Amino acid sequence: MNTDQNRNRTNDEADEDLSSLLTPTGLTRLSSKNPLLIIKKNLFKNMVWAVIICSMYLFIILYFNVWQIRTIFSIILILSLWTLFKTYKEYKKIHTDISPIDPLLTELKRHQQSITRWMHAQQRAWILIYPFCAAGGFFLGGMLGRGNTLETFMQKPLAIPTLIITIIVLVPAGYFLARRLFKASFGNHLKALQENIKDMENEY
Amino acid sequence: MSESEFLEQVRINQGIIYKLVGLYANNTEEKKDLYQEILLQAWRGWPSFRGDARFSTWLYRLTLNTIFTQKRKKHRIEYRESMDDSSSPVQNVFLQKEEAGRLKLAIRQISEIDRAIITMHLDGYENPEIGSMMGISDNLVSVKLHRIKKQLANFLNKEL
Repeated sequence: MNTDQNRNRTNDEADEDLSSLLTPTGLTRLSSKNPLLIIKKNLFKNMVWAVIICSMYLFIILYFNVWQIRTIFSIILILSLWTLFKTYKEYKKIHTDISPIDPLLTELKRHQQSITRWMHAQQRAWILIYPFCAAGGFFLGGMLGRGNTLETFMQKPLAIPTLIITIIVLVPAGYFLARRLFKASFGNHLKALQENIKDMENEY
Repeated sequence: MSESEFLEQVRINQGIIYKLVGLYANNTEEKKDLYQEILLQAWRGWPSFRGDARFSTWLYRLTLNTIFTQKRKKHRIEYRESMDDSSSPVQNVFLQKEEAGRLKLAIRQISEIDRAIITMHLDGYENPEIGSMMGISDNLVSVKLHRIKKQLANFLNKEL
């Protein structure tokens, strides 16, 4: 039996679940669970939230005439806008279509890189933005909660230690939570991609 | 090219999808998800199919790329549906149903990459074609095939 005959013989096997999709109505029922599509949707949601949150920061900067609050929230706003820009660039870079032309190894590396870049972007956000968010939130909460000026609030003996503890606890907690959530969602998938890449690159 | 042409081409070659998904899906749910994803990706990629390669080879590559980039559970395969069929995926036409089933079972025990390589080999693809689809050298394909055959022989001998 030659190769063509063999291929033809094995290629006409059928399955009811598959056959039911091979109709014009079947095609319209198709939905994707591509991990990159899920990531892309997440990035889009992040961008929408970032725009809403940045508007709130802007409101806080304009509304509160306290220089410390204005400085902290201006820093948060700039970092958030920078993250938003990076997220948008990442979003544009992710192609959710699977290549029917590229070799498997190329395709695996593309997926691995996209997922890893996304993970790093999330971690970068936690490390760079959240210390300022924690500080900003602390100042604002202290002012509004106590009904005092920021100076009066910060003069309390426990204010500075509480601020430091808040930052020390919240930032790593957020960072590890983000890592844990990422691992729960994509950890096994990323590991499988890495194992398969390693297997293909292993010469022995 | 039209939707009906696409469906006709896939219908003719649906065995490729069926066979490859059967080697990697861990349960019926995963199998259905993979069918959907492959058809969706094929439908999106269809305009890029220029006909300078066979449709079967184009679909083979796309199916493999899709399966490997989808999230799948890393458990032992639960469903045995495709192992109980009467058709053989291998080149030897005289291979009996039981032997084909045993070979499929053995193939499912080896690593995911090795599964793809041996399946392509059994489907009659030459080493350069396999190398091109996988993105590895012909030499590495030969080395891997040699090792896979030994591994499969061990599995099959253990069973006897």
